[in-house]
Amino acid sequence: MIIVNTEVIPGYKIVELKGFVQGNTVRAKHAGRDIAASLKNLVGGELKGYTELLTEARREAMERMIAQAQQLGANAIVNVRFCTSAVTAGAAELYAYGTAVMVEKIEELT
Amino acid sequence: MDILIQLILLVPIAFLLGSLSERRHLRNLEEREKKCKGFKVTDTKIFHSISLDSPTPKLFIGEVTVASDYYKRFAGGLKNLFGGEIKSYSILMQRAQREAVLRIIESARGEGYNAICNLRIENADIGGNAEYKKASVMVSIIAYATAYKTNEQNPEA
Repeated sequence: MIIVNTEVIPGYKIVELKGFVQGNTVRAKHAGRDIAASLKNLVGGELKGYTELLTEARREAMERMIAQAQQLGANAIVNVRFCTSAVTAGAAELYAYGTAVMVEKIEELT
Repeated sequence: MDILIQLILLVPIAFLLGSLSERRHLRNLEEREKKCKGFKVTDTKIFHSISLDSPTPKLFIGEVTVASDYYKRFAGGLKNLFGGEIKSYSILMQRAQREAVLRIIESARGEGYNAICNLRIENADIGGNAEYKKASVMVSIIAYATAYKTNEQNPEA
């Protein structure tokens, strides 16, 4: 699966449009992480727990998007965008969306 | 009384540790940015001078969450009364953004790419709108870009 956030993929041509695909998730960390983060908030610095939370949420949203694209029989997703929102404290809501397409490698340019 | 103890105890400690970690982070960012100097970064949708043998472009994502310290929140609150730029928060934002972009660059470089385009930087709010979280100041950034290989010659690369 080729995933890019541009509209075209160099070296490939889009042969078929499969449609809009999306995936979302709301994830939270357990209370222990939240407490550790609030302590870290005193002295500043990177909150690793929350960075991890974001990574996990993004991965899950993307996996769902990819699963949808595979169901449609696509082999690439173009113009991928991410959206986030604040549903509740300590949770990350991630929404990934893109356009599933069928691409073909362009043979030898003449 | 509670507030007084907080002021006397927490502010100096937070000031010391906070500025120490901030300085260390900024120095670390500078070093890593120097290492990645030849890397081309654009936020346009066009693949500038893509090389013919470029591997298939790939999406790279970088996330980071950085928190402000107690002293800066205190100073920021004071500054808020008078208005004007709250420098410590500007620096905080900048640190998060630079870190997120650097994470993309480093992972893209690790896989043999030497340029990224269509860079997007997005704020992720994980603080939510709960009342008790208002006291904490933190920035979450999610940045993403498409990596490819350029044939443009970089003197520093």
